[in-house]
Amino acid sequence: MNKKIAAATSAWDVTQALTPHDAAVRRDRATQLALTLAQELWVVKDRLMLLEAALSAEGRALSELLDRQQPDATLRAALETERQRFIAKVLAALEQPQDRR
Amino acid sequence: MDFQLKQRGRASMHFLADLAVAAARFKPRVDADIAARGLSEATLADDLDERLRQVDAALADSSAAAAFAVLTEYSGVNHGRIAAEAFDEIRPELEPRLRALMNGPTTIEPMPGEARPAYADAAWIHRTSGGWDGHDYQGFVHGELIHREYVARTYPGDIFKQRRQILSVLSRRDPARIFEIGSSSGHYTLQLAAEFPKAEIWGCDPSPRMLEQAQRVANERGFAWRLFVGSGEATGLPAESVDLVTSYIVLHEIPAAAARAQLREAFRLLRPGGELLFTDVTRYAVLDKRAVRWAEYNAVHGGEPFWREAASLELGAAAREAGFAEVRSEGLGGAPYPWFVYGRKPA
Repeated sequence: MNKKIAAATSAWDVTQALTPHDAAVRRDRATQLALTLAQELWVVKDRLMLLEAALSAEGRALSELLDRQQPDATLRAALETERQRFIAKVLAALEQPQDRR
Repeated sequence: MDFQLKQRGRASMHFLADLAVAAARFKPRVDADIAARGLSEATLADDLDERLRQVDAALADSSAAAAFAVLTEYSGVNHGRIAAEAFDEIRPELEPRLRALMNGPTTIEPMPGEARPAYADAAWIHRTSGGWDGHDYQGFVHGELIHREYVARTYPGDIFKQRRQILSVLSRRDPARIFEIGSSSGHYTLQLAAEFPKAEIWGCDPSPRMLEQAQRVANERGFAWRLFVGSGEATGLPAESVDLVTSYIVLHEIPAAAARAQLREAFRLLRPGGELLFTDVTRYAVLDKRAVRWAEYNAVHGGEPFWREAASLELGAAAREAGFAEVRSEGLGGAPYPWFVYGRKPA
């Protein structure tokens, strides 16, 4: 490894070492797993809302239809609202009850 | 290029962006916790390493700090993978169009005097999976998906307008040839082309995958840019051959020594009377201790191994050392961001 790479890697590691409490939080795989699952759940929720909208409008093959379906303005707004609510719920789980404001 | 993500990719990118916005809402609460623990400009350590340690210890029991760390860690580690997956879903229909756009008046060639700099592989910049060249269409993944669908949604201000507004700093409106360092996927290059439609545009970047996207972007619009794979530190291009050398948000991605080399090379390439305009992140020298600690914290966890040395480099002095006159090093319109250094090669 040349000097520049060694220096960069070293600076990175050193600074991580300067924030041990933060690093421990970041290393918590269970929390990262929860966020991964939350993301997957959101994809499903988004798809379900599309599905409900599509079922009421079209009779084409559903899988293809859903891949191509774009939410109209009304559904886009509903998705936005629902996504914010969903994220807020996930975030609330990260906080101590007394910290919720 | 018009394209539509499939449902999974679209929903995933939206979720990622909203999560980043949600993370930012914790920042004032972290600041409040820092203050509540007695840390202020008067009590924060002067030494930056010591300050990082000091704040980290003080925030050990802060749930806001923990939430911020968890959320930014998730987006930092996963944004590249999620964007690449979104691309791969539409690859079959997109790839023929992307391949076709490689043909046109914009060309890519090796820089005559340069090899790939070691720092380009020092880390996965921004923690994007694989770094600058980690996907065979990384230029599209980074430029179109990450930049437009994620960064633009989560960063304050209009990141594309800022690339146009900075050009108001220039005195000359008639550059015959422009050389851009760090063209990447062409976002700034497009603004240069729009602002100076008569100028011939040359650009360089160490990443072939990013330049390929710049080439597609240019060919789609009929532009004839001459793009070089190189870092712009010792190009081997003819001396006194361009009227403007410019870069946008590149300096913090490279070591300070490389930034100094680019300044020297810019001076060599410019014709007498030619202009220099490099734009980058806010200098640490104009930030207070709390803000520098935030910048450093975000840089470390955001995959920016050179941020500290770049933000600590006094750009005005470096430009003068390279030979430039009429040097200005300041924030655009008096704001701390974006920060620019301007200079002119004496006539």
